[in-house]
Amino acid sequence: MRWAISDTPWVNRLLRGRWLQWGITVLTLAVFVVVILTGLLGTPAGNHNFGIIYVWLVWWALLKLVLVPLLGRFWCSVCPIPAPGDWLQRRSILIARPGGKLYTCATRLFRKAARGRPRPWPRFLRNIWAQNFGFLAVALFSALILTSPLVTALTLILFIVVSLAVSLLFERKSFCRYLCPIGGFVGVYGQVAPLAVRVKDPAVCATHTQKSCYVGSDAGYGCPYFNLPARLETNTLCSMCGECLRTCNRDNVAFYIQMPGTDLLNTRGRRLDEAFNGLMMLAAAFVYSVVLIGPDGWLKATARAVGAPSWFAYAAVLLLFSAVLTPGLFWLCVRFGQLLGGDGEPAPGKTAGRGSKHATLFAGYAIALVPLGLAIWIAFTLSFTLTNVSYAWPALSDPFGWGWDLFGTANMAWTPYLTGMISYLQIPVLLVGLATAVALTLRTARQHGQRPAAALPVSAFCTLAVVALLTLYMA
Amino acid sequence: MQRRDRFALLVILAILLVLPSFLLGYQVWRQQPTAAGIRIVNIAARVPEQGGFSPDRLTLRAGETVRLRISSPDVVHGLTIPGLGVNVDEIYPGTVVEVDVTPDKPGRYAFACTRWCGVDHWRMRGVIEVTGLTPRPPSLPGKGVGERSPLAGEGAGGMLTSAGGDVPLYQQLGIDIDAMRHAAQVTPATRPSIGVGAELNAALPPELADPARRRTRTPAGAFQTLRADLANAALSDDDVWSLVAWAWLKDVKPAALARGQTLYARDCAACHGPDGKGKGPAGVNLPGMAKMEPVMPKGPSDFTDAGAMLAASDALLQGKLLRGGMGTGMPEFGALYSDEEQWAMIAYLRTFLFGK
Amino acid sequence: MTRITQYASRTTQWLAGGVTLALVFVALLAPLPALNAAPQERQLTINASRFAFEPGTVRVNRGDTVVINLESSDVVHGLYIDGYEIRTQAEPGQPGRLSFVADRDGAFHFRCAIPCGNLHPFMIGKLVVGPNLTWLRAVAASLLVAAGALVAFWRA
Repeated sequence: MRWAISDTPWVNRLLRGRWLQWGITVLTLAVFVVVILTGLLGTPAGNHNFGIIYVWLVWWALLKLVLVPLLGRFWCSVCPIPAPGDWLQRRSILIARPGGKLYTCATRLFRKAARGRPRPWPRFLRNIWAQNFGFLAVALFSALILTSPLVTALTLILFIVVSLAVSLLFERKSFCRYLCPIGGFVGVYGQVAPLAVRVKDPAVCATHTQKSCYVGSDAGYGCPYFNLPARLETNTLCSMCGECLRTCNRDNVAFYIQMPGTDLLNTRGRRLDEAFNGLMMLAAAFVYSVVLIGPDGWLKATARAVGAPSWFAYAAVLLLFSAVLTPGLFWLCVRFGQLLGGDGEPAPGKTAGRGSKHATLFAGYAIALVPLGLAIWIAFTLSFTLTNVSYAWPALSDPFGWGWDLFGTANMAWTPYLTGMISYLQIPVLLVGLATAVALTLRTARQHGQRPAAALPVSAFCTLAVVALLTLYMA
Repeated sequence: MQRRDRFALLVILAILLVLPSFLLGYQVWRQQPTAAGIRIVNIAARVPEQGGFSPDRLTLRAGETVRLRISSPDVVHGLTIPGLGVNVDEIYPGTVVEVDVTPDKPGRYAFACTRWCGVDHWRMRGVIEVTGLTPRPPSLPGKGVGERSPLAGEGAGGMLTSAGGDVPLYQQLGIDIDAMRHAAQVTPATRPSIGVGAELNAALPPELADPARRRTRTPAGAFQTLRADLANAALSDDDVWSLVAWAWLKDVKPAALARGQTLYARDCAACHGPDGKGKGPAGVNLPGMAKMEPVMPKGPSDFTDAGAMLAASDALLQGKLLRGGMGTGMPEFGALYSDEEQWAMIAYLRTFLFGK
Repeated sequence: MTRITQYASRTTQWLAGGVTLALVFVALLAPLPALNAAPQERQLTINASRFAFEPGTVRVNRGDTVVINLESSDVVHGLYIDGYEIRTQAEPGQPGRLSFVADRDGAFHFRCAIPCGNLHPFMIGKLVVGPNLTWLRAVAASLLVAAGALVAFWRA
């Protein structure tokens, strides 16, 4: 049940052309420059600082409420952080170099070792574990980052410096694929999106040896995320950039509109690193809800007092909760499920090594956390977006808080919007997320050869998470 | 490079180079003196723990108009420059308030924060030094360059003047405002009423009828005087107290009382409490409280304590107000209040004990 | 491309889904008899300091006349109540006052309405007007949804 929108001629032209992506990237780059400037030089009062408002309020809300649920990992293709590195690698902006050739410093600096090939990304990092722990690291500093324009600017500068360095040494978008903490969860949650880039007929790819989608061609570059479109089953690693659409000389790639959640229907052969991402993001949402949205001022102050002894204790608790307790509890639920419904079979095609059965089962059940976690993050985002988005208007006219009034909106007062509606928006989102999650747990049980009862503990886990969040916000 | 890429590169370079230059350049331009020659002076108002006003000392020239741009990076502050008639009620965090100031007389003017911004809010003050106009050649007599008058309310040792410029009453009288006072021996049983006193309309002895002389008397002493007067023999004690209340407040205009009330709410209530009982949130754990025990009551004064307040003359209260508490945490307000405001404040303080 | 596999028969699934949906609607929207205690007048003092309100959670009953005295211990703070959309402000020595009838039940966050420093956007408390039907309904709906999904997608 999917419809190939790229078969429509004007859509096809739009997607193949490079203007659209470049145009949006240029906008995000301009905003990024202003964010950095205002963060470094503007007022420390977050409510009138363009950097704080447009990153943590506007962009975050856009990401969580619109971009990820509808367009998957699309943000990554217009993100300003890797953009300069990409342009340097490609030595071009709007045209494709012959053969889709990329240039990295590696080919110059490490000529002998590289033998004309760019440096390969280390094997042990070819997963999203770095992104998982990267996000936890950012979460530890969140109370400070979110409320300090200077720290926001420095964090973003760090990202861009690392991204640039990685682009100069390694080929393609290694930073985005393996290091960026945002990319980690945007990819995992993007699996609910109705937009997907897939091949039309896998049989065509099977006989295609050139693999121009991967290596590039005169029409475009190889997939920046090291994907083989034929093997793409989920949106996790696809930023919808359309390079494969440009380079495929068999016209076998298409952009599809599919049923939301189609990516989640196969729970077999799932990866542990993505499972952990789902668990850790769920835990982080609870931590944020308790610390930032809760009433305890001491906790908030502790969370912000980076470097103080109490902060180390807070950090330890946060890490314990996110990296140990939540995954541990989930693992117990999976094991209990095995008691109730049978051990389950390893996914077909996988070697039945020791522990791999449990690992794939664990990762399979963790799929339920994708819609659940996204729903919880949407609920969390809603709790502050409508209330505070009115800060965006004065921040536009007076980005630095220096007394400017570029567009006449500098004196607009803080106006919370629709605050009475917040609960009524959160509840349906959470209910839909829960329903999908429970349905997926049953699917996991079935696809792994277990009896349906095996899904009960994980379903209870999901239900408990939703009830706990409702209690935090509404009781 | 193809034209397309050249154009794209131009746009990107514009964003990376032109945009920042424009933004920063715009601010540099804004900080230049205006076409009319008005100089821009930036003042940052921070919580006192982070430095208070910065700068806290400004030098202006008499007759020169400057545009003050006051910003706050943390909490709501206010700004008052009483000597120059400037009153900014609210500097909202993240915004900039502009105020044009044209001082006409040389002198030193205090400025202070008027919105409670932390424990040390009352210390958040600064000085504007206004120097004279163009310097005269030394051969000419008269007011020369940079004439300075003593800072209003400046510390111990120097001649204290109120913002009005005279020697304060308590100094003229030689009252030691730090000495321990005996509480009034007789205090009213019920709340004295100015209205009742007005109705009674008894003849007041000259030292109570004349405001300047009344300020040197204590209400308790006035009670004794009026009680001893045979003309008032028929009146009850409470009625005599009402006469005292009326004597103290009959000459106070409603506008002055309102001003006293506003100033009290703005500057005093944080420590002394909106009800005057001395239990305001900013009054706990004041410095120097321990060292004042057992001589003085612990904490900010309770203006509803009849024994203490009725034994204090207006001149004494004015002294405490002007000079502050010498390390107890009571700020000095001599630099900020004009003569009228001082008496208005003291009149308002009396209303904690004297009702309508 | 994996297809959505049928578990139980289609009819059973649709039936389960429909029933669940109906029950969820009932749980969320059906009017319930007001089981309130008699409305009373409540006087509360909320103390604001950087960066929390004390008490952080306030519980009243539906129909109560609530008078909130806002006091501040350090700087200028505000108080804005979500849903009721009323606000006041206070600083040391100048308390603020809010008076309203708690005619809507549920939990309403209240926030600081005057920027008071870096953690200001997270200076949040909660007013719970009970009985808290919103929460009860939401929890009931969650349990129904979970049960309904289990029934609809269980393989017989």
